[in-house]
Amino acid sequence: MVDTKKTENDTKSVSRRDFLKKGSAAIAAGAMGVYASQPTGDALADPIREVSYLPSKGYIVHDSRLCFGCQSCMYACSMAHEGVASPSLSRIQIIRDAPSFTKYPYDIVMSVCRQCVTPLCVQNCPTGACHIDTENGNVRVIDPNECIGCGTCIESCPQRPHRTVWNPEKDISMKCDLCLNTPYWSNKGGPDGHQACVDICPAKALKLVHEPPLQTDVNGYDVELAPPQVPSGSFMDVFNQDSDDNQKEGE
Amino acid sequence: MTGGYTGKILRIDLTTRLIHMIDTAKYEEFGGGYGMGTAIFWDLAVAPGEWDLKDAYDPRNVLPIMVGPLAATGVPGAGRTNVCGLSPETFPTCEFWRSNLGGRFGNMMKLAGWDGIVVQGRADKPVWINIINDQVKIEDGKELWGLDTWETQNRITSMVGGKTRYGEEWQQIGDTYTTTRPEILCIGPVGETKSRLAALITGSGVSARIGGHGAVFGAKNLNAISVTGTGSVQMSDPEGVLKARILQMKTYTGGDIPFASGPGAASCMPCLRADRRRSNYYGGESMCADQSWYFNNRNQTAQDKACEALIKSGLSSWSLHFHAMSIEIEGAPKFYRKKVPTDSGLGWYLQFLKEQGLLGPGKQIDSAPLPLDQWNELSFREALIDCIVRREGIGDALAEGCCRAAQKWGRLEMDRDSGALRLPAWGATSHWTMPFVEWAYAYMLGAGDPAWHGFMAPTGVPRDGTPLEESLEKLSKRTIPYTDDIFMFNYAWKGEEAWKTGIYSPHKAKQVAWSRHYSAFWNESMAFCEMFLPELHSYTPEMEIMYYKAVTGKNDSFADTMRIGQKIWTLERAIRVMHGRSRQTEDFYPYMYMPGASGLAVYGGVPIYEKGKWRSDPAPDMYLDRKGVDDFKSHYYALEGWDKEHGWPTRKTLEKLDLERMIKTLRDSGKLGTA
Repeated sequence: MVDTKKTENDTKSVSRRDFLKKGSAAIAAGAMGVYASQPTGDALADPIREVSYLPSKGYIVHDSRLCFGCQSCMYACSMAHEGVASPSLSRIQIIRDAPSFTKYPYDIVMSVCRQCVTPLCVQNCPTGACHIDTENGNVRVIDPNECIGCGTCIESCPQRPHRTVWNPEKDISMKCDLCLNTPYWSNKGGPDGHQACVDICPAKALKLVHEPPLQTDVNGYDVELAPPQVPSGSFMDVFNQDSDDNQKEGE
Repeated sequence: MTGGYTGKILRIDLTTRLIHMIDTAKYEEFGGGYGMGTAIFWDLAVAPGEWDLKDAYDPRNVLPIMVGPLAATGVPGAGRTNVCGLSPETFPTCEFWRSNLGGRFGNMMKLAGWDGIVVQGRADKPVWINIINDQVKIEDGKELWGLDTWETQNRITSMVGGKTRYGEEWQQIGDTYTTTRPEILCIGPVGETKSRLAALITGSGVSARIGGHGAVFGAKNLNAISVTGTGSVQMSDPEGVLKARILQMKTYTGGDIPFASGPGAASCMPCLRADRRRSNYYGGESMCADQSWYFNNRNQTAQDKACEALIKSGLSSWSLHFHAMSIEIEGAPKFYRKKVPTDSGLGWYLQFLKEQGLLGPGKQIDSAPLPLDQWNELSFREALIDCIVRREGIGDALAEGCCRAAQKWGRLEMDRDSGALRLPAWGATSHWTMPFVEWAYAYMLGAGDPAWHGFMAPTGVPRDGTPLEESLEKLSKRTIPYTDDIFMFNYAWKGEEAWKTGIYSPHKAKQVAWSRHYSAFWNESMAFCEMFLPELHSYTPEMEIMYYKAVTGKNDSFADTMRIGQKIWTLERAIRVMHGRSRQTEDFYPYMYMPGASGLAVYGGVPIYEKGKWRSDPAPDMYLDRKGVDDFKSHYYALEGWDKEHGWPTRKTLEKLDLERMIKTLRDSGKLGTA
């Protein structure tokens, strides 16, 4: 087990090296890439323990039918947390099936951390960096100062794509913390506060709720936030003009 | 460099296959996007003096594909990509002209670490450019040649994106990771066959439609540019951007343009029409305008299919314009049948020829292989695209655009003079134009459609019941630096008032200059969607500056930015002057001087001041006066600091705008204006 009493720097350098040496090739490859559906590697060798966790007091649900795919939430997330605009550093991922031109509503996948009731990322973290913040609504968070960059939380995440995100600039993992720790955004976050992605979404396709959604599959989080209002016709219709001139004149 | 810039521009010479890097700082004085692109065009294509600037297909034509500092920073509506260069579409000459496109290509370019991509030369065989962050490769494009735009993008994605499954996995690129796929800018078959109507396409329906720059790609043997970026964009004040955006979302009241994007979206999307639910096609970038211009039909499925065929071919809906709306105008030429189109292009011209009995099987203009009897059917619209793609039968002439086709058929002069070729200037598709005179003047002074709606709503009938004069006074407070002159907004077009305070007066020159300078800086260089900003009823100029400062950290005032806009516009003018532009060549097509020239005053009317009173008037009977337009030129040239005789920028103007390096080139060519 990692000696977490060591200084931060020592802990990072020694324990990360230990884990990379000991861990599987998948972890050594950078804790990313394509993962098998089941956790692998020495670090995850133990069977999943039956542990109860305090449920988070906040969850972000989404409506994939409302999403425009504009990626505003991704920019807002990376700006609030990292101070730069970078979809790759965003803890929420909006994935467009571009450019294979899949049709609505299958053209966009919204990948949002579920604040799992049984968070494997927390359970398997060897250092306790990924933990439950009991002082802030039991949100599942990663302490960047404690993270040793072993990638276990990324491997552990049962979702695809994994919701824990690798930060190659800092060599640590990141995950959605409901904006509890946003050095570049002064709004109060957490279950009682604001989330940059929710506030910025122009489609109102994201929402903070306080009861855990169904955990069984993705549909538990992909909810109808507003009745679909499907516009139709031509954009010139807004001028309330005769929109079928062509038809008439050609006849 | 200040925030928002990546600091480097990619320069690719397809002839030599050399790949260079340009330091963005060298062009920072031009803001970004179009401003930088225009300056790069000057430096690489004009200043060396090795080219007569006549043929857009010449390998020496340079295509800067640029974004601004606000792209990929979370600023809404500011991710547009500008393309400029010599245009094959303008008529009779290939003018320097630009277009822009939304979607996510520009943002991805920034995330890959580039403020722009400059393409020059001509490859000896078909190629595509593969950019993955700082890795740039010129790839063999043989297997892409002949594919449609969707097939091209799919093929490239399968090559670049690896085997990652959509929506399920991260892709590793070097030390970084992404869930997104490459963004691809490409041409279709019509670009390859160098149709002057060829657009540049990205995604399922986003296109740079104006100017025919898709054909320039084709002439360069360049099929596509693919960009994958996993980097970051730095900015001065990220929280400032987030706050500005949330503030704008909270206070947004619907905007001046009802279908505009609103304060949403990291790129230029979405707007109402681009709502992915609206069309059956892949969303966030649906073919909104295409449907209105190319096939405006109550049958949504047919409309979608026609536009899908159009986009896949790489054709510009803009150039193929049928028309979206029409109005009755007394005194208009009879062939309009009292239905004068407010916008028109190739499609409308074909309709005219058909109705006149000139176009048909075996007729004066043989329509084969077009099924004219199916004019309103999907089958006709698809056949039209197909024959242009193949350059089959009439398609070969149509692929050259309606003016060149008319020239081939021996009808150019008569149809231009009668108004059948209803194109305001430079052979460009007509769009609004009148009674929005500032729009018309921008056609003439530029090289085609300015596609800039900024004054339409603010000068319309006030929606909140404010008295017209009071509304215009408020408006005139916002038009820095030309403030407190409400006669800028006077559309009086006949009688003494037209010359004194109306459309031929120095006041109107200010309005036109404001629109050109604003557009050059804020819409083309900072790359704000022009339907999003300006908002002259509410946010302009405060909102622009709020975003600009938060990203760049610069303390420029709005007036400072308008000066940069004037600088870009003047540089653009210098390029045109080198190309042959002068007061004598700068004119409208004859129909603009005849009854029937007007169009739809879509916001209820334009302000007209006569006999000491203001009123809103739809002005359907408006047309221009030749002497009036000539007088306007004098006022406008004086305001811009161009000489009266030729419309050439003067030394004093160039010095004032820090454009000294253009002086020698203009002087050596004998085209430096004299005060």
